[in-house]
Amino acid sequence: MSPVQERVARIRRRFAMAVLAHAVLVAAAIAGMILVAGLVVDALVALPLVVRSAIAPLAAFIGVTFLALRGLPQLREVLTSPDEAVALWFERRLPALRYALVTSVEAPFAIGPAALAATVASAPLESELSAATRHALRRPALALGAALLVLLVVPAGAVARVGAPRAGDALARAGASLRAGADPLATIVARVTPPAYAGLAVRAVDEPSSVAALVGSRLRIEGNGRDVRAIVGHDTLVATEQGNGWAVEFAFPQRTTGVRLVGPRRSRVLVLDPVMDSVPSVRLDRPARDSVLRAPRGAVPLSADVGDDLGLANAAFEYIVSSGAGETFTFRSGHVAPQRFKAGARAGRLEGTLLLDTLKLGPGDVIHLRAVAWDRNNVNGPGVGASETRTLRIARADEYDSVSVDPLPPTEPEKNALSQRMILLLTQELEARRRRLPQPELQRESRRIAAEQTKLRKRVGEVVFIRLGEDNAGEHSHFAGDGHDHGEEGPLDAEQILAAAERAANADPTRMLEGEGDESPIVAINRPLLEAYNHMWRATTELETASPRTAIPWMIRAIEALQRARAAERIYLKGRPPRVVVDLARVRGTGKDRFAPAGRAARAPLDADRAARLARFDALLSGLAADPLAAADSLLLIRLTLPDEDRDAVRALDAAATAVRRGGEVTAALQRARRSLAGAAERQDGLRPWGR
Amino acid sequence: MMPDFTFATAQYDSGDWDSAPLVAANVIDSVARYTTIDVAPTGTIVPLGSRDLLKYPLVYLTGHLPVRFSEVERRTLRDYCARGGLLFVDDHNHDVDGQFHRTAWEELAAAVGPLGDLPNDHALYKSFFQFPDGPPTTSHELNGWGDNLVHKHLQAVLRGDRIAVLYSSKDYSSEWNYHPDNKRFLSVDNTKFGVNLVVYALTR
Repeated sequence: MSPVQERVARIRRRFAMAVLAHAVLVAAAIAGMILVAGLVVDALVALPLVVRSAIAPLAAFIGVTFLALRGLPQLREVLTSPDEAVALWFERRLPALRYALVTSVEAPFAIGPAALAATVASAPLESELSAATRHALRRPALALGAALLVLLVVPAGAVARVGAPRAGDALARAGASLRAGADPLATIVARVTPPAYAGLAVRAVDEPSSVAALVGSRLRIEGNGRDVRAIVGHDTLVATEQGNGWAVEFAFPQRTTGVRLVGPRRSRVLVLDPVMDSVPSVRLDRPARDSVLRAPRGAVPLSADVGDDLGLANAAFEYIVSSGAGETFTFRSGHVAPQRFKAGARAGRLEGTLLLDTLKLGPGDVIHLRAVAWDRNNVNGPGVGASETRTLRIARADEYDSVSVDPLPPTEPEKNALSQRMILLLTQELEARRRRLPQPELQRESRRIAAEQTKLRKRVGEVVFIRLGEDNAGEHSHFAGDGHDHGEEGPLDAEQILAAAERAANADPTRMLEGEGDESPIVAINRPLLEAYNHMWRATTELETASPRTAIPWMIRAIEALQRARAAERIYLKGRPPRVVVDLARVRGTGKDRFAPAGRAARAPLDADRAARLARFDALLSGLAADPLAAADSLLLIRLTLPDEDRDAVRALDAAATAVRRGGEVTAALQRARRSLAGAAERQDGLRPWGR
Repeated sequence: MMPDFTFATAQYDSGDWDSAPLVAANVIDSVARYTTIDVAPTGTIVPLGSRDLLKYPLVYLTGHLPVRFSEVERRTLRDYCARGGLLFVDDHNHDVDGQFHRTAWEELAAAVGPLGDLPNDHALYKSFFQFPDGPPTTSHELNGWGDNLVHKHLQAVLRGDRIAVLYSSKDYSSEWNYHPDNKRFLSVDNTKFGVNLVVYALTR
C-alpha cells in the first residue's frame, strides 16, 4: 500500500467516526426534544400517568430508530466505499488538488511519483475533514444542548414526571407550585401507608376524588401552598407546613367518610372508602361428610385448605362434643392440630387426626367438627374464618339395628357429582372443537360421551333403588310414594320408572317438610337423585344425536340435583313437629286482655332515600356550569349517602366527580351516575308479599 | 292467597331447630287474639338456606345444640336481613355460656354483623303492648335455671334504626312452648311480647 493510500485509509476512519458521532448526536437531540416537548405539554395540561409513562420510551425508541435507519447505513457507506469515492469527496472540496489525489489512488504510476506525492502531501485533507465535521455536528449539538439546558433548569421533580413518572408526583408538575399560590387545593396527592401486618407498600394517588384503603392505614394528604385544614367527621385537623406545601395525616376511618379540605378560597371534598380485611377462607376436605359411628374408637383423619388475602396467622381444627338430650345438654370443646404460619403466608394446608378414644364419648354424643383459621389483622381483627361443620354421632344401643356404620369416603351423590362434572367437561371440550371436527368424528365422540353418561345414570339408579331396599337391578322395582298405582302388581319397566321419577321430581319440594303431602319421606329424600336421573337421560338423548351444546344444560341441571341430594343428607330430621292449627275465629272473639295499642306511624316508602338522592343530583346539575368544582363536591356528598352495597352507584358517582373536576365533556359520566342512582333500589322482589 | 303474616320457624343444617314446636301456635293465637292482622292459622317451616325465607317478615330460630350455618344459609340470611327481614333467635338453653349462645353469636356476627344490647326503651317494646322495663322476664330466669341470671337486655343487629336480628338468652322458647288452649290457665298471658315482635316486623 502506497503512502497516499495509507493516508486515505486513516482519513476514512476519521470520516467514519465523524458520521457516527453525527448520527448519535442527532438521535440524542431528537430524544431530548421529545422529552422537552412532553415536559411543556405536561406543564400546560397535566398529562395522565399512562401518557407520561410512554414519553421516555417513545423518545428512546425514536432515537434508536433514527440511528438504525439513518446513522448505520451512512456509516456502512463510508466504510465500504472505494478509495476513489473518498478521494473525490476531497477533490470536490479542494479544487487545488487538480485530481492528484484521485489519480494517485486510482493509478499511482500515471504521472511521476514525486509530483503526486508533493501535491497530495501539501493538501490539507485532515483539516478539511475536521472543518466539515464541526459544521455537521454544530446543529444537532446545539439542539441537544438546548434540550439539556431546559431539563437542567426545570425542577428535577417536573423532569422526573416525564422521565420516570410514578403515582403521587402530581405536586412536582412544572408550574404547580406557582398555581398553588393562588389555590392550595388545586392539586392534591393522597399517600396511603397500609398497616404493618398487611406487608403492603405505600401507595400514592394523584388528584383523588375518593381513596380506598385497608382499615388501619395512615392517610397523608399533600398539596402546594399554605393555610389548609381538613374536616374529618367531627374533627378538624390543621395542615402542617412541608417545604413549599402543606400536609395533613390521620388514621383511615373505619366507615365511609367524607373529608372536607378547606383552603383560603374554596373547599374540596374527598371520600374515604375503607376496605375491610377479608376473613380467611377455610375448606374442610376430611371428613368429607357427616357420619354415624357405632363405637367411639379409632382415629378420624382431618385435612383442610386455608387461605387469606393478606396473611394467615394460625389455624386449627375445632371440635365441640355435645352430650345429652331434651332439655339437658353438656358440652366440651377443644382444638386439634394447631398450626402457626410464617409471616406473609397466604395459603396453607392443615392436617391432623382426631383420636376418638381420647374424647371419652358415650352413646348419643355428637362431635361438631370444623377447621378454623385466624389472620394477622391486629387492627380490627384478627379475622376468623371457619369451614363447614361436620357432625360425627355415636349411635345408641337401641339404634344398632338401623344404623349403618359408614366409613368416611365421599358419599355416592358426591362421587356421582364428580363423575357428572367430568362428563360435562368432556362435553364442553367437544363443543369447543365441534366446528373443526368432521361430522362422523363428532358423532363418534358424542356417542362415546353418551355411553359414559348412560353408565353414570345407571349408577344413580342403583343408588336410589338400593336405598329403597330393593335389589340393585331395581330399575324394575317400585316403591311407596313413587306415584305409581300400587294396585298394579309386577315390576315397572324403564318408561314407568322414568314417569315415576318425573312425577317425583316435579312435585312441590316443600310438601314433605311441611307435612302436607302423602309422599313418603324415602321418595322425598331421593327426589334430587331422581331429578338427576331424568336430566342425565335427556343429556344422553342429545349426545346420541351429536348435539353436545344442547346436552350441556341438562348436565348442569343434573349436577345441581346431585348437589341437592348431597345437601339433603345433612338436614337434621327429627321427624315432623306437631302441627297445631289455631282456631282464629274462636280466638278473635274472646280476647283475654284489654289493651291500648301504641300509635304507629305509616311505613316510609321504600325508595324515599333514592328519591332524595335523585332530587339532590338534579339540583346540582343546574349549578354545574357556574361552579363545576362545587358540583364535583356535591356529587361526592351524595355518594356518601349511598348504602355500602350499592357499589355500582358509588363507582359511577366517583367517576362523575372526577370527570367534572377535570372539565371537558362530562355528559356521559353524569348520565351513568344518574342511571345508577335511579336504579339502585330495584332489588325488592322478596318484600312484595308482606309490603302490600 | 298468602295472609299478611305467617309464623315461620327456621330449619338450619345443624342443631335441633325444632326443639320448641308449639311456639308458633302460641304466637299465632296471641296475634289473632289481640290484633286484626290477617294471620295464617298454622306456622310453617322454612329452610334457612332457601330463598323462600324472603317471603316471611319474621323468622324464628331456636335450639339447644351448636349452631353452624352453611355458606348458603349465611348468604341467604345476609340477603334476608338486608331486604328488611327480622330474624328472632332464642337460646333454648337460656345460658350465656352455652354452646348455642357462643356458636350462634359467632355465626350471626359472620353472616349479618355483631350483636349489641338493645335499649329497653326501644320501639320494639312499644310497638303494640307497652313493656316499659324492656323484655319480659321468663319463669326460667326467675327460677334460676340455666345461667341463673335475669337478662336485662335483648341483643340485636341493627340496620339503620331497624332490627335485623333479635337475640334472646331469656328462653322464650321454653316459656311459650305449650298448647295455646292452655293459655286460659294463666293469670297473665306470657306471650304478649310475641305480638310486639310480629307487629314490629310488619311495620318497620
